[in-house]
Amino acid sequence: MAPTVGIIANPVSARDIRRVIANATSLQITDRANIVLRVLACLKASGIERVVMMPDNGGIRHHVRRGVERSRNLGEHEFPELSYLDMTVTGTVDDTVRAADLMRQQGIAAIVVLGGDGTHRAVVSRSGDIPIAGISTGTNNAFPEHREPTITGLAVGLAVTGRVPEAVAYAPNKKLIVRINDQAAEIALVDVALVTERVVGARALWKPETFRELFVTFAEPEVIGMSAIAGLLEPVKRSEPGGLHVLLAPTEEAALTLNVPIAPGYMRPIGIARWQRLSAGKAHGPQITSGSIALDGERELSFSERDRVSVMLEENAFRTVNVAAVMDYAARHGLMRQAGQKERQRQVS
Amino acid sequence: MSKNPFPLDKQGLLEAYRTMRTIREFEERVHNEFAKGDIPGFVHLYAGEEASGTGIMMHLNDRDRIASTHRGHGHCIAKGVDVKEMMGEIYGKAMGSCRGKGGSMHIADLSKGMMGANGILGAGAPLACGAALAAKFRGDGGVGISFVGDGASNQGMFLESLNLAAVWNLPAIFVVENNGYAESTSREYAVAVDSYVDRAAGFGLPGVTVDGTDFFAVYEAAGEIIKRAREGGGPALLECKMIRFFGHFEGDQQTYRGKGEVEHIRANQDCIKLFADKVLDAGVIKRPELEAIDKVIVKLIDEAVVTAKAAPLPTAKDLMTDVYVTY
Repeated sequence: MAPTVGIIANPVSARDIRRVIANATSLQITDRANIVLRVLACLKASGIERVVMMPDNGGIRHHVRRGVERSRNLGEHEFPELSYLDMTVTGTVDDTVRAADLMRQQGIAAIVVLGGDGTHRAVVSRSGDIPIAGISTGTNNAFPEHREPTITGLAVGLAVTGRVPEAVAYAPNKKLIVRINDQAAEIALVDVALVTERVVGARALWKPETFRELFVTFAEPEVIGMSAIAGLLEPVKRSEPGGLHVLLAPTEEAALTLNVPIAPGYMRPIGIARWQRLSAGKAHGPQITSGSIALDGERELSFSERDRVSVMLEENAFRTVNVAAVMDYAARHGLMRQAGQKERQRQVS
Repeated sequence: MSKNPFPLDKQGLLEAYRTMRTIREFEERVHNEFAKGDIPGFVHLYAGEEASGTGIMMHLNDRDRIASTHRGHGHCIAKGVDVKEMMGEIYGKAMGSCRGKGGSMHIADLSKGMMGANGILGAGAPLACGAALAAKFRGDGGVGISFVGDGASNQGMFLESLNLAAVWNLPAIFVVENNGYAESTSREYAVAVDSYVDRAAGFGLPGVTVDGTDFFAVYEAAGEIIKRAREGGGPALLECKMIRFFGHFEGDQQTYRGKGEVEHIRANQDCIKLFADKVLDAGVIKRPELEAIDKVIVKLIDEAVVTAKAAPLPTAKDLMTDVYVTY
């Protein structure tokens, strides 16, 4: 039996204050649903018969249903059989976490994720060994690679049906583990930032004077957000060992100032005190004694002088579908080729 | 004392607490008094939603105008309307904000920029556009803010106002206080595309969603949106996801709510408790300081009820006063 693929599409990513302070885009619900339909069509085309989705009350499910029903009415069989997880919808990140949990329990072959870095983090917190394939529908989005979702859907289908060798189809990823006292660990896929503001508030980070410390799993100079600070200092690839640890300071106290796009179209001078490579497996305590911790660009946790905080890099933490490698393999090995009509006629005769 | 890590100074934090606690005490008391049968008409209570009105109104002054809803007590208090006059209005007394002729759903005080609670769903939105247009002509940096619920966001008036505000580039802000229920109808049944940000985008306005039970989330987002409008950046929409402690109106049996839902949100999503926990934990404010505010507010609201009950009703000769305006 062909493997089942999961889809987790976050209806509420890209809704924060960066729409106002940084002129960020807000991808509409119908656009997200259309992305799901494109992915579904390509999964079907690559041999996937069953897909299970996270239910939502944000409008994605209704729009997807219209597309699927129309196709069924026309007898087109354009999409795989689609079902929804049996779970209560809360309209919060808890839905994503619960959906990833259920998909892992059900032995799903891969999870296609629509969201920003935060959505991907929530999925990875529960998805275990299941490979994920990210589609960017958030704001800064350093983690999911930017490409047409059609190709992501196609690559996932080719990967999970075994037509591309595992060593090619999947890539290992790093993550950061954050611990406060004895609480359950939190993770970040791209960056952990420590800021002086004590409140989570509107979550986004846009006030450089509050930035004090940054840990990143990888640092690409062509992304935006907190990891762009590291990316413009010393690039670190997703595929290479280790990350980067940057100590930040107000610009008037810093030895170096770096101009960084910390949000879409939002260039700000960032004060840099010093930086160093970050090795895996070593716990680091923060330089500031109280403030809040932003995971992948959004303030999530606050801490005070009484708390013990540590940040640690882990390698080979989870797998992603290597879309570029899958498509390259597919092209070089003719996976999308079929015999033409003339050749089929010749074979019959 | 610890260094203050909040976006408001200590005075501002205490003021935010005082406003939210005043709204809560006012609403809890109206809830109890309404059950006694002395209050005429309907009342719709704002308890549980205090962080939204307070977090927004702390960025405003008297020149900024707001248009409220049927659930308007909290907006009035946060905008600075006198609570004794408000209580008098709710009791229909001559001392009331509108001389006892409006009641709960029509409390207004133009001197405070409060254009009125409103019994017509969505009707505040065009009023806020008018106020924003006036501010734009005056060039005084004022803004007009309309509050609507998730139910009223389906009204034509609201959608037409988004269009008008965008076309005229008004300093108008539309706040959708999404408490999940249009009267008793869950938004899942009644709102196509459950994203108010999408609706704003359809008219060319930026939209932002925040956790309306987190005072600081509302305060930060509202601050940026209001600043943008004052600077000529134009209209925007702010969705505050929130919860209400009471029913749609007093007397609502709330059979549409899940078992234990209200108890759960009172225990875990009380915006005032969440606020107090944060400022106390940071050591910026001590518990006795909050308790002192509580004590003053209980006394204030008690006096408001006693005064309102004892106050005279409007007389027959007051019937036509304050009703018509000659231009």
